Amino acid sequence: MNEAMADTDRRPTPARGFWAEAWARYRRMPLAMAALVFVGCLGLVALLAPAIVGTKPVVCRYKGQIYFPCLAYYSRDLEPVIFSRDKFRGEYPKNLAAKDPESWAVWPLVFQDPYRAVRADEWPGRPANPARDQGRPSRWNLMGTNQNGVDVFAKMVHGTLVALLVGFVSMGIAATIGVTVGALAGYFGGWVDVIVSRITEVVMCIPTLVLILALLAIVEKPTIWKMMTVLGLTGWPGISRLMRAEFLRLKSAEFVTAARAVGAGPGRIILRHVLPNALAPVMVPITFGIAAAILTESGLSFLGFGQPPPSASWGSLLNDARSNLRMWWLVFFPGTAIFLTVLAFNLVGEGLQKATDPRLREARK
Amino acid sequence: MIHHLLRRLALGLVTLLLISFLVYGLIRSIPGTPLTVAVAQTDPSRRLNPADLERMKAAYGLDKPWYQAYFIWLSNVARGDLGRSISRKAPVTQLIGERIGPTLALSAASMFLTWAISIPLGLYAAARSGRLDERAVSLGLYTLYSVPTFVAALALQVIFSVRAEGTAWELPLFGMTSGLPHATTLGWLADVARHAILPLICMTYVSLAWYTRFINTNLQEVLRQDYIRTARAKGAGPIRVLVHHAFRNTLIPLATLLGLSLPALLGGSVIIEQIFTWPGMGRLFFESLRERDYPTIMGLTLLFSLLTLAGQLLADFLYAWVDPRVSLE
Repeated sequence: MNEAMADTDRRPTPARGFWAEAWARYRRMPLAMAALVFVGCLGLVALLAPAIVGTKPVVCRYKGQIYFPCLAYYSRDLEPVIFSRDKFRGEYPKNLAAKDPESWAVWPLVFQDPYRAVRADEWPGRPANPARDQGRPSRWNLMGTNQNGVDVFAKMVHGTLVALLVGFVSMGIAATIGVTVGALAGYFGGWVDVIVSRITEVVMCIPTLVLILALLAIVEKPTIWKMMTVLGLTGWPGISRLMRAEFLRLKSAEFVTAARAVGAGPGRIILRHVLPNALAPVMVPITFGIAAAILTESGLSFLGFGQPPPSASWGSLLNDARSNLRMWWLVFFPGTAIFLTVLAFNLVGEGLQKATDPRLREARK
Repeated sequence: MIHHLLRRLALGLVTLLLISFLVYGLIRSIPGTPLTVAVAQTDPSRRLNPADLERMKAAYGLDKPWYQAYFIWLSNVARGDLGRSISRKAPVTQLIGERIGPTLALSAASMFLTWAISIPLGLYAAARSGRLDERAVSLGLYTLYSVPTFVAALALQVIFSVRAEGTAWELPLFGMTSGLPHATTLGWLADVARHAILPLICMTYVSLAWYTRFINTNLQEVLRQDYIRTARAKGAGPIRVLVHHAFRNTLIPLATLLGLSLPALLGGSVIIEQIFTWPGMGRLFFESLRERDYPTIMGLTLLFSLLTLAGQLLADFLYAWVDPRVSLE
């Protein structure tokens, strides 16, 4: 009793914000935290992929200049011109030594390439990658090779970047469209709402695969960026619906009336007052959506609708496996990777839901 | 009620018109036509000469701009004619009729299995909530839910068709029958069943995990209600409380799910049917998209959208029907 009295006498500590509060709750969930750490590791692997596996040096000194040839894995334009002028043809180890004895280089951890089979003695003492169904996992090819002799481990590592990019970029596009459209429909109501709701329903009712395949076919050569755009353009209806519902609920709240009474315009009310309050519930479907986008991309690549080869998508490895079912490693490694990534994002989404949904919090008491 | 139904039907019709218009425009802008794609794939030397191509285009109505062709298609549909497939030279309705059986067989069996397993499992999970065994089961189901179907399908093919080759566990890799003539109907049925095992597993495990979770969550919510405490207080046993008092109230959201699963029941799964070359609707759709077979794509899209809308309507009406507190007005 006395303690309670003393407590009320003490000066109140400043209240934590909504997100700090949610983070504190999130941190207490071991599974969700583990998933978050896993996603972080994936991000690291994705960013550092060219330094982990590759046939191009991370840093090298050639004819008195420092170069970073590994950047070519991010974008072909980043490959220093001097190497193509000196006719390296992608084979660095021998050419560096032969054309400039003074040169030195820092190599990736594993010497393999995600886009082509490594030839014999490309790296001194390294045998050629086995092709067809001979490429079981070995000390030279940690996860084996596919039917063309391309290293699976290299494809897996470089495919991480593809998977994460697809997840985040396409969901970024979908979230932007969904939040904007849903907010406008919910806030303004009336004919804006009628039109938006109808469009949302139309996009939801068209079988997703029709929409995606048709759009992909229209853009013809489906690069990974076009794929992301298409996934983004088809993935927004769920978010928009949720956003609309949140805006409908919040626009009659007292703080919105108060804001309007002080003379805030609709733009200010939407962006500064309602949106921050409506964002938390939308974060959950966005996280699930990232998992779904990764799944769809690998599914499309699996069906052969992905980026044309050479591509490093996990789904394209599974596509190779379809006609080479004896090569179990073509199913096991990419399959496990897709599964774990999807699981991790689902767990993060679930944790986010538990941490931000006030109804679930009430229920747990 | 009637008023609400009419309003929904009218809105649904508008949506259907919009969808079909949009999809028609989309598929007509995909490069290649049914004529060029099919011929170029079989033999480049047999490519049609320009005059023949024009003649065939006119015969199939492909010479008109797509919006004009759309209205011709629409007026035919209004008269109950879905048109003829260009690449398969058969009426679209006949094609759908041929494919709907295999799809329905697979999806109905999968749905039956899902309900038959997930309801007891959901009840079990709710009864043992928080214990070690329940958490293990829930985690297992959650994990299962994140396994992509195409990964599972490939893994099953590797295990049961390649690794188990020559053993009693060997299962057919794809197709619906082995193609050999069967003396009896029973033998034919057994053959189809053997072919259906792997696709059936792939179709069932995801929905199984999802439904069990769904039932479990709903039960948990219901079990916190006051009337459950009342039932316990008056001495009802744990099983009676769970089945008689709690589970019956979770049937309400389940009714909605039943309605929403309508499109999957008849639409089939493109990926699973494609992997196991199961001659169903999903595969027909995939093939017709590849062949640019406009009438078939349109017929299937119309059917899928119709099913989606009907499913939503059914879900709402089922909801109002099982729960007297809900009114549609």
